[in-house]
Amino acid sequence: MPKDERGLTRIELLQGTLDLIVLQTLRWGPRHGYGLAQMIRASSRDVLQVDTGSLYPALHRLEKSGAIAAEWEMSENRQRVRVYRLTTAGRKQLAAERSRWEQLSEAIAGILAPPVADGDA
Amino acid sequence: MRFPWNRRRREQELDEELASHLRMAVAERVARGETPAAAERAARREFGNLGVVREVTRETWGGGWLERLAQDVRYGARTLRRSPAFSITAGLTLALGVGATTAVFTVVNGVLLRPLPYPESDRLALLSYQPKDTPWSSAPGLADADWLSFHRGARLFERMGAASAQLVTLTGAGDPVRLPGAAVSADFFATLGVRIARGRAFSVDEETDGRNRVAMIGHALWRDRFGGDSNIVGRAILLDGVSHTVVGVLPPGLAYPFGAQVWRPLVIRVSPNLSFMLSVVARLRDGVTSQQAAAEIASVAGGAQPHSPGQAPRVAEVIPLKDTVIGNARRSLLVFAGAVGLVLLIACANVANLLLMRAAGRHREMALRTALGAPRRRLIRQLVTESMLLWIVAGALGAAMSVAGVRALLALAPSGRIPRQNEIGVDLAAFAFALGVSLLTGLAFGLVPALRATRPQLRESLAASSRGVSSRDGGVRSALVMAEIALAIVLLAGAGLMTRSFVRMRQLELGFRPSGLVTMTVDLPAASYASATAMRQFHEVTLAQLSRLPGVTSAAAVNFSPLGGALVQGDFQLTGGRSRPNGFLAAKPSVSPGYFRTMGIRLLQGREFTAEDGARAPGVVVVSRRVADAVWPGENALGRQLSMKDKPGPGDWLTVVGVVEDIAQRGLNGERDAAIYRPTAQLDETFFLEHMTFVARAADQPEPVLTGMRQVLRAVDRNLAVASIGTMDATISATVEEPLFQARLIGVFSAFALLLAAIGIYGVVAYSVAERTHEIGIRVALGAVRTDVASLVVRRVLVLVVPGVVLGIGGALAVTRVLASLLFEVKPNDPATLAAVAVLVLATAAVAALVPARRATRVDPLIALRSD
Repeated sequence: MPKDERGLTRIELLQGTLDLIVLQTLRWGPRHGYGLAQMIRASSRDVLQVDTGSLYPALHRLEKSGAIAAEWEMSENRQRVRVYRLTTAGRKQLAAERSRWEQLSEAIAGILAPPVADGDA
Repeated sequence: MRFPWNRRRREQELDEELASHLRMAVAERVARGETPAAAERAARREFGNLGVVREVTRETWGGGWLERLAQDVRYGARTLRRSPAFSITAGLTLALGVGATTAVFTVVNGVLLRPLPYPESDRLALLSYQPKDTPWSSAPGLADADWLSFHRGARLFERMGAASAQLVTLTGAGDPVRLPGAAVSADFFATLGVRIARGRAFSVDEETDGRNRVAMIGHALWRDRFGGDSNIVGRAILLDGVSHTVVGVLPPGLAYPFGAQVWRPLVIRVSPNLSFMLSVVARLRDGVTSQQAAAEIASVAGGAQPHSPGQAPRVAEVIPLKDTVIGNARRSLLVFAGAVGLVLLIACANVANLLLMRAAGRHREMALRTALGAPRRRLIRQLVTESMLLWIVAGALGAAMSVAGVRALLALAPSGRIPRQNEIGVDLAAFAFALGVSLLTGLAFGLVPALRATRPQLRESLAASSRGVSSRDGGVRSALVMAEIALAIVLLAGAGLMTRSFVRMRQLELGFRPSGLVTMTVDLPAASYASATAMRQFHEVTLAQLSRLPGVTSAAAVNFSPLGGALVQGDFQLTGGRSRPNGFLAAKPSVSPGYFRTMGIRLLQGREFTAEDGARAPGVVVVSRRVADAVWPGENALGRQLSMKDKPGPGDWLTVVGVVEDIAQRGLNGERDAAIYRPTAQLDETFFLEHMTFVARAADQPEPVLTGMRQVLRAVDRNLAVASIGTMDATISATVEEPLFQARLIGVFSAFALLLAAIGIYGVVAYSVAERTHEIGIRVALGAVRTDVASLVVRRVLVLVVPGVVLGIGGALAVTRVLASLLFEVKPNDPATLAAVAVLVLATAAVAALVPARRATRVDPLIALRSD
């Protein structure tokens, strides 16, 4: 498994989490697949590099379920690119996934935090 | 919403999308300062396996199974085309198996499974109200008085119609011909729900004497004898010499009841002494059960005519119409279905074996593909698809062949013995059946080879020598062949038993000498022959002329000829307070002088009838041996007296003047009937004289005698039609037509099964020899002689065949019990037949193994050891 030139490791993401990341990133505006991957990398400060074998299935899956919609557009240098954008249903799904994630991270934080001191311990 | 047929466009778009991703990645790297070549390499590396990404993304689309199926089918077709020997052998075997099965299914469906061609035919039934436990069995029927009262009074039936069988002579439209016909009530066809093709059915007022000179004819008759005349309705035709007006033509294929081709109105003349039985068809009201209907019959008819004491109690029955039409065919048909099923199994086992042997040659390919990452499930799916392709194509071919098969079956079958013959045809149901059978057997028999072929033992498969012959599946293959042998034995045993049964029937001693006998049956119409005297005169004249025919040694006449299908049986009274044994009945034929001599029936005591035994002479009878033994055991029957009347007066006593051997009257079932013969000259009832069979013994060839008899008849009365004419041998053959047909059919199936089993044995043994070539080479090099090698092969064959034979005999003992009712004087576990079958199979196995054995003995050790 080749490492990135900057010595970073790739982290494999759970499918549900990937959906959340994609939807959230698209909230900032429509993007094509490559741009999305770049933005995720940037937003996570190079920690998360989603490889194409996970990204594109996720995109097509989300498109099939109606959370995102896709269109062909012309890019600046007159090449065709497929651009994805969030739909109304997608916004709802994002909100739900987000609250689920927050619940989960609170729960894990609670476990990882030092235990509350007992009076008599 | 994207649809499946846009799939190719979606694939192209995905490719474009991924390509653009890669392009942008390269562009960015170049913008950052990398060389284009390095950027390209790095970007591709980072991108990953394009093919995998494409696959994985496509999978999210769903619906990929259709794609994969199409791919598998194309691949399967390619591989099948590449090995034509295998494909053709397997395909033909399967086609024959499926074709035979479909043909039998078509017949079974047409006869047993499909409903009758009348609307809501499950509500139709035959009604019966008559004594049940009498010595003579009778068809369901209602007495005419019961019919009349019932027709008016029954609530649970929607409609009813009555019919009575008749034989009519049609003249004036081609040669005079005797036709089966029926007298039917006005609502008979309405009850069945038949639509009259032309004209109309009878009306109620035509059911009376004087107004019943109307008739309806069948489609075939209309076509053949009246040329499809479009003005047939209203035309006059001559039935039994009387002019009848045609009022209607029935649709094609309708010959109900009794195979009738002409119908007349039923006229009921109720008389206190004589009651006629009618066949009554009724349509039950919706929701009425047979029991309810039967109860109603009993109450209505029984109430109207309470039965007299001393008469056996009458039983009401409501029998579904379909059962009466099917009759006895059910059992034979099910036996055929079972037999052909076995053939199909054997064919499939053979093909499965071929597949296994072929798969063994492909295990390197499978191992390679597995190593390259193909999931086992995919490989199995591909192999199964290939098998199914083979099976379905073969099945379609077989279905096409079944059309010819059905035609052959119906042609070979005894005519008229397969009920509803004109309703049988290869149709959608048959094709669906063929397809279903192909799919099922293809799946079942294709799965195991596929599983075996893709077993994950990569290392040894890849490392195996390139010979491609492996001993991996030897066990399964042997098991398959053993099963084939066992099944073939079951079939052969069945065929052997039925053949023996048929031969036994054919060789039966009948009590008279059939070879050389020629018979001609004539029915005298009442219109032209009104009195017994007229009839007797006809018989005398005809007999005299027949005796004078060249080539005829002797001629005689009998009213109820043996094996003639008609018989009168009854009881008789004895003198001196003697009573005949309980339930003892005798046939009562009347014969002309010289009958026994002509027929070759042995005279045991006394004398035959002569010309002196005329109308004014004392009444005489000749009895058969059984009568003499039963009534006057140990005494001399000659001179004793008996009477045919229930209450004999002084002039009604007949003297026994002769005792003859018993003969088979009713059929080839091994039984000889007791008979009391009277001379025709002494008979007065026209009922006993109107149906007469003339028998003549031909000195040489029967054909000229047959022609001569026809000419005599035409000379005596031009308007008479021959009811039937032929040699007695032919009549006997017709009686055994059915067992012959059954034996032949099962014989054909079992021959095919044996051939397939032989091919299976050959295949396995040849394979075994091929895989042991190396070993044989070593043995020969070390000094083994031909016989040693041969015994190797023989041992292999025995290991294969003997368990199969043992299994088969066991199976035959279990299965052939089903045939018991179809066999005559042969037990289902007849040891001679089973032994013969076992020997036959062993011999066939020996022959099948001959070629591989010879090849084994010819193995050149140098070549064998070198090819590694």
